[in-house]
Amino acid sequence: MSLADWGHAEPYEDVSGEIGIVGIGEAAYSRASGRTSRQIAADAVASAIEDAGLKPSDVDGITLSMVDTDFDAAAFHEHFGTSHDIWVSRCGGGMTWAATAAYDAALAIRRGDAKTVVNVFSVDWASKRGELVGGPGHFHAEELFKQNLEVPFGWFPQPVYFASIARRHMAEFGTTTEQLGSIAVACRRHANRNPLAVMRDKPLSIESYLESPLIADPFRKEDCCLISDGGAAYVMTSLARARDLRREVVEVAGVGLGTSKTGRYWAQQPDFTATPQIFSAPVAFAMAGLEPCDVDVLTCYDPFTIVSLMQIEDMGFCPKGEGGRFVEGKALHFDGGVLPYNTHGGLLSHAYVLGIAHVVEVVKQLRGESASQVPDASVGIYGGYTGPQASTLLLRRGGA
Amino acid sequence: MREGFPLPDLQWEPTREYWAGAAAGELRMPRCTACRRFCWYPDGNCRGCGAEQVTWERMTGRAKLFTWVVLEHAFLPQYGRDLPFVSALVALEEAPGVRVPTRIVECAAEDLAIDQPLEVCFRPLRFAGVDGEVVAPFFRPIARLSVA
Repeated sequence: MSLADWGHAEPYEDVSGEIGIVGIGEAAYSRASGRTSRQIAADAVASAIEDAGLKPSDVDGITLSMVDTDFDAAAFHEHFGTSHDIWVSRCGGGMTWAATAAYDAALAIRRGDAKTVVNVFSVDWASKRGELVGGPGHFHAEELFKQNLEVPFGWFPQPVYFASIARRHMAEFGTTTEQLGSIAVACRRHANRNPLAVMRDKPLSIESYLESPLIADPFRKEDCCLISDGGAAYVMTSLARARDLRREVVEVAGVGLGTSKTGRYWAQQPDFTATPQIFSAPVAFAMAGLEPCDVDVLTCYDPFTIVSLMQIEDMGFCPKGEGGRFVEGKALHFDGGVLPYNTHGGLLSHAYVLGIAHVVEVVKQLRGESASQVPDASVGIYGGYTGPQASTLLLRRGGA
Repeated sequence: MREGFPLPDLQWEPTREYWAGAAAGELRMPRCTACRRFCWYPDGNCRGCGAEQVTWERMTGRAKLFTWVVLEHAFLPQYGRDLPFVSALVALEEAPGVRVPTRIVECAAEDLAIDQPLEVCFRPLRFAGVDGEVVAPFFRPIARLSVA
């Protein structure tokens, strides 16, 4: 299967070293809470601005999601009592956009459209769950090819898509249930150490993983992410300005975005056991002048264990097909693992806030503030994923 | 959600011929008349050559099991009555590059194997709490010939 057959990398300009992340903020992560996504976003943005040591009137750019997070310029002004001009992009938020918001912000800052940009994502799907057909599968149930060709046969929703991919990965490469379980266990161990994580009080051993019931064989419940309310935000500005602010500088070193031609139709992606990370990651690494062996900590969008395993392969941390053996045992743990991964707990055990907390966690690691700190972490990477696209964000401490 | 969900909408134009074929006991797939590529899912012009003309052709119904999942949980309440059941993607003999979502029947889940040969069979699709039924292309293992 040649790469050109099923996807491509977006042609990104080099933005390495132009901007830094200077503030992070989090709203509470929870099960159903009755909070709206706008309230959650306001909490996260306020916290991020405070962390940066800035005033709300200093923020003149917002990147947010096309859906869900309803915190545009009007909402910002209403919440903070401000009235200045704000540049707004709807190509921000979570998932892949939790990474690519940094690219769009860098270009906006370069153009002079904004000086300081906040990227925010929030979600209230735990509170809204009863309104959704098949939970987060709702958006797929409404898609008419899926509705007429997949849903009638039970090929729905996401746990079924990704259990199908896991089955095929197992057949092609010998990946085992225990190997998938080791990803879930690593996330849970990190969540148990993180007071902000939804699953902070619920331990998970490989034995209890293997004993838990199958819900979409080969998947168990613990292969699947949580449904949560919560959100987070991060503030970006030029690297020169970042050095004058109070937090240690975290440089945006590289960004990439890859796209699959088959879009949301997972069933039809020619390379069924890969992600568009194979197009995205090389762009980000080249832009940063870094290689996978330089990475101290990884967070990746982990709706299901297999998605992390594939992204680890597709980012180049191991050859394709060897992900199962790579993640075995304690390989992903913060203390001594070869690739400390989702050290906040991930979508599996921290909260399902669609990747925004993953970027915040990388920043914490590079500042030395994580609940599961990797000693002397200086390079961190986030892998974003939607299915149709994958993105890569490389962050570097200090901004040398 | 549409009345009858999760039964298919037999009138929806892009997939109408797929379901009409099933009602007639045929597995039909859309194919570009110019370059002969299969246009699956049939969401417009041929993705290979851009031609507009797509025709539906009858397939032999032979396939290989590409991957499968045993549903143990009712992700939709309408799935509940049938649990557990096997939802699968199959690769057709004539069109190995595309995958057809289906259910596997007449086989215990523990006896399934990747790439095992299958054949189409037509069965009524029904859902708990949903009126009506639709004949759908399911797949089953090709019966092994007994060797004397």
